[in-house]
Formats: sequence, C-alpha cells, structure tokens
Amino acid sequence: MSTRFDARRILRAIAAPVLAVVVAVVVTSLILAAANDPVGQVWSVILSPPKPRVVAAIINAATVYYLSAVAVAIGFKMNLFNIGVDGQYRIAAFFAALVAGQGWLPGPLNVLLGLAVAVLTGGIWAAVAGILKVWRGVSEVISTIMLNAIATFLVALLLRKAALEPGGSNIVQTKPIPESSRVPGFPLIPGSSREIYGLVILAILVGIAYWFVLNKTRFGFDLRATGASETAAVASGVNVGRMVAVSMIISGGVAGLVGMPLLFGQDYSYGSTFQPGLGFAGIAIALLGRNHPVGIAFAALLWSFLDQQSNALQIQAGVSDKLVLVIQGVIVLSVVIAYEIVRRANVRLEQRRVAARLAAEAGTPLQGARA
Amino acid sequence: MRHATQVAAIVAAAALGLAACGSSDTPSSGGTADGTQPAAAGDKPLMVGMAYDVGGRGDQSFNDAAAKGLDKAKAELGVKGQDAAATNGEPESAREERLQQLIDAGYDNIVAVGFAYAPAVKKVAAAEKDVKFALVDSTDAQGPNIENITFAENEGSFLVGAAAALKTKTNHIGFIGGVETPLIKKFEVGYIAGAKKVDPDLKIDVKYLTQPPDFSGFSSVDKGKAAAEGMYQQGADIVYHAAGGSGGGVFQAAKAAGKWAIGVDSDQALTADAAVRDVILTSMIKRVDIGVFDFISSVKDGTFTPGEKVFDLKAGGVDFSTTGGHVDDIKGKLDDFKQQIISGEIKVPSA
Amino acid sequence: MVELHGITKRFPGVVANKDIELTVDKGTIHAIVGENGAGKSTLMKILYGVQQPDEGTIMVDGNELRLRTPSDAIAAGIGMVFQHFQLADNFTVLENVVLGAEGLHGIGDSARDTIRELSDGYGLGIDPEALVADLGVGARQRIEILKVLYRGARIIILDEPTAVLVPQEVSELFDNLRGLTAEGFTVIFISHKLDEVLQVADAITVIRRGTTVAEVDPKRVTARQLAELMVGTELPSAHTEQSTVTDTPVLTIEATSLDNPFGGPRLLDGIDLTIHTGEIVGIAGVEGNGQAELVEVIMGMREPSAGRILLGELDTSTWQTREIREAGIGYIPEDRHRHGLLLESPLWENVVLGHQTEPTYRTGPGRWLINSSAAKKETQQIVVQYDVRTPSIDVTSGSLSGGNQQKLIIGREMRRNPRVLVAAHPTRGVDVGAQAAIWGHIRDARRNGLGVLLISADLDELVGLSDTIRVILRGRIVGQFNPDTVTREELGAAMTGAVADDARADPKEQGH
Repeated sequence: MSTRFDARRILRAIAAPVLAVVVAVVVTSLILAAANDPVGQVWSVILSPPKPRVVAAIINAATVYYLSAVAVAIGFKMNLFNIGVDGQYRIAAFFAALVAGQGWLPGPLNVLLGLAVAVLTGGIWAAVAGILKVWRGVSEVISTIMLNAIATFLVALLLRKAALEPGGSNIVQTKPIPESSRVPGFPLIPGSSREIYGLVILAILVGIAYWFVLNKTRFGFDLRATGASETAAVASGVNVGRMVAVSMIISGGVAGLVGMPLLFGQDYSYGSTFQPGLGFAGIAIALLGRNHPVGIAFAALLWSFLDQQSNALQIQAGVSDKLVLVIQGVIVLSVVIAYEIVRRANVRLEQRRVAARLAAEAGTPLQGARA
Repeated sequence: MRHATQVAAIVAAAALGLAACGSSDTPSSGGTADGTQPAAAGDKPLMVGMAYDVGGRGDQSFNDAAAKGLDKAKAELGVKGQDAAATNGEPESAREERLQQLIDAGYDNIVAVGFAYAPAVKKVAAAEKDVKFALVDSTDAQGPNIENITFAENEGSFLVGAAAALKTKTNHIGFIGGVETPLIKKFEVGYIAGAKKVDPDLKIDVKYLTQPPDFSGFSSVDKGKAAAEGMYQQGADIVYHAAGGSGGGVFQAAKAAGKWAIGVDSDQALTADAAVRDVILTSMIKRVDIGVFDFISSVKDGTFTPGEKVFDLKAGGVDFSTTGGHVDDIKGKLDDFKQQIISGEIKVPSA
Repeated sequence: MVELHGITKRFPGVVANKDIELTVDKGTIHAIVGENGAGKSTLMKILYGVQQPDEGTIMVDGNELRLRTPSDAIAAGIGMVFQHFQLADNFTVLENVVLGAEGLHGIGDSARDTIRELSDGYGLGIDPEALVADLGVGARQRIEILKVLYRGARIIILDEPTAVLVPQEVSELFDNLRGLTAEGFTVIFISHKLDEVLQVADAITVIRRGTTVAEVDPKRVTARQLAELMVGTELPSAHTEQSTVTDTPVLTIEATSLDNPFGGPRLLDGIDLTIHTGEIVGIAGVEGNGQAELVEVIMGMREPSAGRILLGELDTSTWQTREIREAGIGYIPEDRHRHGLLLESPLWENVVLGHQTEPTYRTGPGRWLINSSAAKKETQQIVVQYDVRTPSIDVTSGSLSGGNQQKLIIGREMRRNPRVLVAAHPTRGVDVGAQAAIWGHIRDARRNGLGVLLISADLDELVGLSDTIRVILRGRIVGQFNPDTVTREELGAAMTGAVADDARADPKEQGH
C-alpha cells in the first residue's frame, strides 16, 4: 500500500520538472521563431551529445553550482532567502586563497586549512545577516543584498592590498597556493584531457551531509519544522531565533565552500577573473532542484549543460549567446509554477484518497462515538 | 510565509534573468553565421575565430573595434571569420571551450579579445600547437604560438584628458571606469595626467561601476547612466568613460544633461547610437582593429612572431578622434602633446 | 427557493453524496445537520460551485443552474461564509470586503458607503475603517457575512458559524440571521450543535452517510431525536464523573502579568491560578481576553513581565518552551493548523513534533538523530489507541479530517504521560464522535492524576469536564464558578463583565 503511494509520489515529483522543461522548450521555440532564428538547428545543437571534454566541463561547473544551490537550499528549507551566497562565497574564497597561498601547512593539510577558513569566513559573513534578523528583525533578503555589495568592495580593497605586484598584468590575484596543496583532478571522462575537480568529492559529501542532517537529525527536524510552519515549530519548542541564526551560519559556511573546487582545482589563487555570479545561479538551481539533494544535482547538471551549449549555439547555430540565459530563465519560471500546481494537486489528491480509503474501509463512520 | 519566500525567490530569479537579457540589447553574433561553413578545399581561405569579451560584437566599443579588424581582413585578405562572445559570470571552462570549439570548427587562427581570456589561451595554446593565437590586452599568457597585442591606453587617454581640460567650462570633469582593473586604471591615470598637464587645479571625479570579479561594469548601460548622471549633477561637464558597453548609458546621461562625453576604444561619434553621437566630444581610439588586422595579415604572409606587440601613440595604436569637429579649435594643442609624447618629451604614467 | 434533487457526487472509490434531496424555502433559515464526514461539506461545495455533482440538479427560483466555479455561484446570488475566516489581518474592513470585488463599487467612497449601508441595514455594526486585527471573532464573522452581502448574495451558506462564538455572540448572530431572512434572504446553516439548530432554524435537514435521511420541523423534534437521526446512536455527554481532585498542586500561577509590548493595558494582569493533580480547571471567557496569552506564558512562548509559574516546585517562568515541554506539560493548541501540525508532513513526523527531545524518538551517538522507526511505531500505536482514522501513517496530516487531526494531537501529547495538559479548545471544529473520544481521553488522564487547564468557548464542554471554572476578562480572573451549579447566563454575564460582582463569584479571585 505504501509502496504504491511512493511510486505515485515519485511519478508526480518527476511530472513537474518534465512538464516545466516541455513548457520551456515551447516558449523558447516561440521566441526563436519570433526572432527569425533557426529553431530546428538550435535544438539539434543543444541536444547534440556533448564531447567528452565538454562533459568534463559540465560536471566541473555543476560541482560548483551544486555547492551554491545547497547553500541556498539550506536557507529555503527554513524559509530564509539567503541571497547572500554570492557575497559569502567570494569573501570566503578570497580569505581561503589568501591563507592557503601562504603555504603555512604542508600539502593536504593546507587544503584543509583553506577549506576551514572558507567555511568560517562564509559562516561569519552570513551570521551578520542571521543576527540582524534575530535581533532587529531585519529581513535577510535586504541584509544579504547589502552584504553582497559590502563583500564586493571589501574584497576589491583587500585584494589590491594583498595582491601580488600587478605590474603590467591586468589580472590582480592573491599569491598562488603551493603546488603541493593543489587538489589533483580525476581523469574520469574517457577521451577528455580535462579532469574532474578533485573537490567534486567535497560536493558529494556536502550533498550527503545535507540530506542526512536534514532528514535524520533532530536539528534537521527542527529546521524542516520551522520551514513548514514557523508557528507550529514555536509551539513545539523550537527556538526559532536560534534556528534562524544557526541555519544562516550553516548556509554561509556551505556558501564558503562554493569557490573551493575552483581555487584548489583550477585557479590556484583568488583574482579578478574568479568566476562571479555563482550565488545567483545557486538560487535558480535550488528552486529547480526543489531543495532536494538529488534534485539539485540534476538541476546543476542541466544548468551547466545549458551554459556549455552557449558556445556551440553561437558557433554552430549562429544565434545569440543570450539565448541560453533565456532558456534558463524560462525553465526556472515554468518549474516553479509547475511545482506549485503539482503541489496543490497533490494535497487535494491525497486528501481525497484518504477520505476515499476511509469511506471504503469504514463499515460505520461512527466508530469513534463509542470510544 | 512559505509562499512569500517562494514568490520572492521567483521574482529574484526572474530579475536576474532579465538583468542578463538587459545587457544584450544588441545582436552579438548572428551576423557572421555564414562563416560556419568551411570553404571548399583547394582555395581554402585563412580561418579566423574571434572570441569576444562580455558584450560581444555590437558593444559599440572594445569588441566592435576588434570586429572591425576582422571585417577589414575579411574584405582585404579574404579570410573566413566566426564570432563567439562571452556571457557574464561564465565559468573559466566556458572560455576554454569557446576557443576549443572555434578550433574544432576549423578556425585555426584565434583572436581572444580581452585579458579575461589569458588563462584559457595559455591552456588551449599549449595543447593546440598548430593554432596561432592573438591575445588582446594581456601578456599573462605567453608561448611560441601566442601574440600579445597591447596598447598604450595611458597615452591616448592623456590626449583626451588634455582635451577635456581645455574644453571644460566648469573646471570639473569626470572619469567612469567599467571595472576597477589595472588595465582600466591605466586609462584613468593617463586621463588625469593629461588633464592636470593643462590645468593642475582641475577637479576630476572618478568612479568605477563594478569591482572584479564582477565584470558587469562593462555591459551595464543602466550603471553607466546612473554614474554619469551623478557626475553631471555634481557639476562636471565632460565625462570620459572606459566602460565598454556601459558607455552607452554615459552618452544618454550626457544627452539628457546637455553636457559632453568622451568615447573610448572606437571612434564612438561614428559607432554609438545615432541619437547620442552629437554629445561625443572626442574618443580615445584604441586601434584594436589595427592590432587584429596586423595579426591576421602577419599570419597570412607568414611573418607571425610571438610575444608582446605594443601599439602606442607612435605606432598609431592609440589616438584621439576628431569626428564632429568639436575639438577642431584645440586640435593644434593636442597635436603638440601628441608629438611631445612620441618624442619622449612627455612621459605618461601608466599606473 | 433553492432545490437540490438527486445530487450524487462520487470520488474515486467512495460516494460522498448520494441522492441528496433538499428544498430550502425563500426567506427561511434552513439548517443542515450531520456528523463531520457525513457529506455536508461536499454538498455545500457543490452548491457553492467548488465541485460539480455527477448527477442531480440544482434549481434556484425554478431555474436550473450549472455551477462550475464559485463565481458562477456568486453570480447566481449564492454566497458562502467559511468556518475559517478568510480575512487579511492587517487590512481594514473596507479593504477586506472589496478585495476581489473591486469591480462592484470600486475601492473608495462608494464602496465605503455601500458597506455602511449594509452594516446599518442588517445591524451588523461594522465600521469599514476598522483594522481587522483589532476585531474579535464575532465581528470578523460579521465581516464575512458582509462580504457575501456586498457581492450581492441572496442565499447565504454558513459553515459551522457558531463554533468560534461565545453565547452572547451566538445570539447576536442569530438575531442578524433572522434580520436577514426578514429581508427575504435565505440562510443555509450548517451545524452539529443541535440546541442552536433547534433554536434558530425554520427547517432542518439531516444528512447521514452522504444522503439526506430526514427533513424535520424544529418545533416538533427534540435534540435527542435529532441526534439519533444524525448519528444513529446515543449523544455523548461531557459530564465528568467522580471528582479526582487532590491537594497536590501541579501547576501554580502566581500573580502573573504580561505587559503589552505595544503599550496599553496589560494582556495578563495578576493571574493567580492553581491546578492540582487530577483536576480540570476550566477557563471561560470571550475570545481575546487573555486566554491565548495565558497559554503562551505557561508554555514559555512569552516570558511573563511579573509573577512566576511553578510546575510542581520548579519555577518555569523563564524557561524555554522546549524545557517546559520536557518537564511534562502537554499542549493542545487552539489552532491546530497553525500551532499543532505540519500539514504537509507525514503523521509520524507530526507525532515527533513537540517531542523532538523525547528519548524515545532519539537515537545514535549523542542522541542527535531522530529515531524514525520508533516514531513510526509510536504513531501506529496512537492511531490504534486514539482511533485516528487514516489509511496509513505515511499520509500527510493535512489530509486527515479535523477530528482525526485533533485525535492525533491528543494522542501525541497523552502518550508522553504529561503532568499537566494545557488544552485550548480541544474539540473545536471536530465532529460529535471525535468530541466524545477526546473528552474520554481527557477524563481518563485526569483519573490518572493529570492536571488540566481547559480553555474553551464551548460552555457545555467547560461545564461538563471542569472541576472548577474561572472566568477571564481583560487579562484578569474575574470569577470562580462551580460547574455543577452555574448557569450559562451566569457565566455569560461574567464573561462580558455585565455582572462583575456576581454573588457566586469568589471575591478572592476577583481582579484588583
């Protein structure tokens, strides 16, 4: 009985994203047609199987997106909207790069130190928003947007102070981390010289930890309860203020890890070309993945896949690189709408089914009166 | 509450999407789709792939200047070209992939426009030894198959700085940089040096639109407009921008305020929106087109040499424009400065 | 005239309504009574266009109607006042009324005038400028009625309208309803409170197991006969048997006050109250007189400004809610949807809710983990022991009926063997069967030495269950009554402050 329930539930869980992707395809096609772009060619380019090299790039970019989306999802689970992941990961990556660049500790220990610094920095930066919310009732949406701006300027300022002598170079960056502390990649994709970030393992661990803490621990229970109904959580004894602060800090800590695969697996320093905007992509991906650890993984891969197809679209189909942004935007909107529709339908269906089953089972509906 | 958060999230996500679209009000690459088909064997033309910075072809500035070089090479040297542009916030691998896909499509001469391509060029050039690369604005990637095209932006900026100082009526001018990088600093330093040379007491406002690693300052018309409006309200009557596509906003603000603006990279009195061309006092021309054309023709005639090539005032790599005739009255003075720089009499600082 | 003939509505696997026959004469109050789950709500949803019948016809004034959406129903002059009010607290009455009906009279003066006219015309006493947040339950209900009138309804359906009202408000409501029928409106009144139905209705239709079993004349039927028609069994009684009250105080509230953070009179003012083991102390009062605050202070959701609260010997005044729950205070919240349940979570998670730190539900190193298998086992037992009707413990709590949700909450609290139970409106909005079961469980626990603070708007419940009744008014305890001797009128007078120095009120307990 319960397995059938679950099978249906899974079916419906998949129905929403599938529906959304179909809608996104239709809407995008209409946009293309209206712009006189070659609709068929665009889709055949987008859907052509990526080369091994591109597969590796997709997985790498998805790794980073995944961490960002999990950071956002932790907030979402609590009804907190941490827009500040963007600032948190940048300031965290900067300090991690700064510290790891000194090479105080040998080899892998230096990596761990860098990760610890990143988590700490991200956590502290997010804590500001958490504490403002708990103490002064400042909306985290406002405060994290502000903190993003502050992080940007603070990093720019400190980067100039801490950077290597720029000389004629246009790239300002921190001291590169020592060779011994660079995390080697995995040559996982046959036929590609591009390796998968070694810290993909970090992303997997974070995903597992996210699932475990959320679903198995008391803390996770309190967090989900608060997200599901703050009033019920308060009545159940959850200290919501503390939960807000703690979950904001954890969200920020995970946000701190976002830049780590880039830092230890690709750039080896924090500089002016460090990838921006990851925090905002994380918001969309968390929405797309429904805050579910596995859903987010698929969403991150889809997102990153579309990103990578942008080049092929320009070079092979001759359409604007912005098309991918349009597709991504349309997918997020349709997914969110589809989820809400399916969610409401689910609630209604389940109520109906429970009533139906009870009525079918109950010989008399008045059993309770005899209790 | 739950729903409020969701709604806020949707709105934010949508806004981000829109913001991304907002910076793409110009078609960026469709124009040369015909170049995708490799020509028939036999008279195989030179194949040139252009990897643009954020904004792409049609930014009326830096990328367009590079595109102009390609277009000239197409017309005069019969090369086949293909455009591809960067998107804001893309991962490093996307830049590598862009170069790689151009190479895969048969374009074995690559022009990477903008210093952000340095790591990608370094990596791809090492693997694709038969492909020749030109990297504009950066010496961070060097190799036997890489030519580094750089410019003496400080020298050109010195001249327009002097022009602004000579032309201002309020003794107050401004500078708007797209992103605060050492490269754009070079524009600022030269501009200030030129202005102060004319009038040491001049008031000069300086503003950068974004801080790295946020490069949206090169493609945000709204940010450029807001910054320029601020300066004009504060009393500046001439604003020089080194902000790529954001410069369009600077021109709009100048038009609205009835003040002057100075263009950058291209002769913007010719390339900007027709409605705002008349507010462009002069432009600091950075002849990226010359650099690009130079690279292509050197490959064509087999004289390609790797390493840095500096296009300075002397080499004609930078200059000021006279379109519109707004600086005709001071052209003599500017040409004097020009000669003094070329002769080494004036040393323009670069940082 | 409203006529429903042969209405049948099937849901997959079940027939919710079968051959419903209902005739409501114009200008009358027609009551529909029946157990929860008997099919009243489905029938009303059909009449209000929320659902479409599979068979049967709906006729209004002789015209057959097809109601596909509530808008169709509104267009046909049918309006509905839901049990759960649908008002935005931080909007004014005017804003709430025009919301969604901006096209009728705009949102300005014309709308305001129309509201005033309706309010004066039918004695609703509603100020269009008042903020809903400042209004009591009775007034909110009148706003809902006003909303329906504003949209042009001539036929008004009220779903369990008295569930949230005190006696005085009930009689005011009935006056309003009579006023409306005198003007030619038709009122369809859903209830299971038989006394009220007999008091107000012109005609009564009884629904049992999805079909109409009888139409009766209220003048010729007794409450007991009606109940038998309705449930086919004996009407449960709230009366508590033998006293089990001891001398051992289990919860003592001493001179406890709570300041209003926004200024103004104190929300609680010098409350003194002692609950002994085996004692049920009932709190009567018009809603909004400090009951909710009293509960929040006891449960640690707010810290008292003065005074102290002792659980046995322990001063819990400054404790967190979780510590207080751990110390053995069970809590049945007033609004189970907002405070009692996670509606989209499965039953077993709802059983853990409020008892996250309970050792039974914890496992693993440091007991950091939730022991879901233990929680599921426990839930299974609650479902059996407390007769929660559900096909599985994996369904969401939101899919259960109100009565079953409440039984789940009672079971969750009782299974943890609390020393004190704070029960706010434990049977509000549940059907007769579940009500009897809940009363039974509270009585059983009392026999086992539980101290209960019972807050209720249902005077039958208060009188029937309590060992002693206190009346709360403007944050003060203003009277103490013996439930065996008190009359509804006496309680009502004390609740409204009409007779502050009632002879039987204990002077010690009076406010200062």
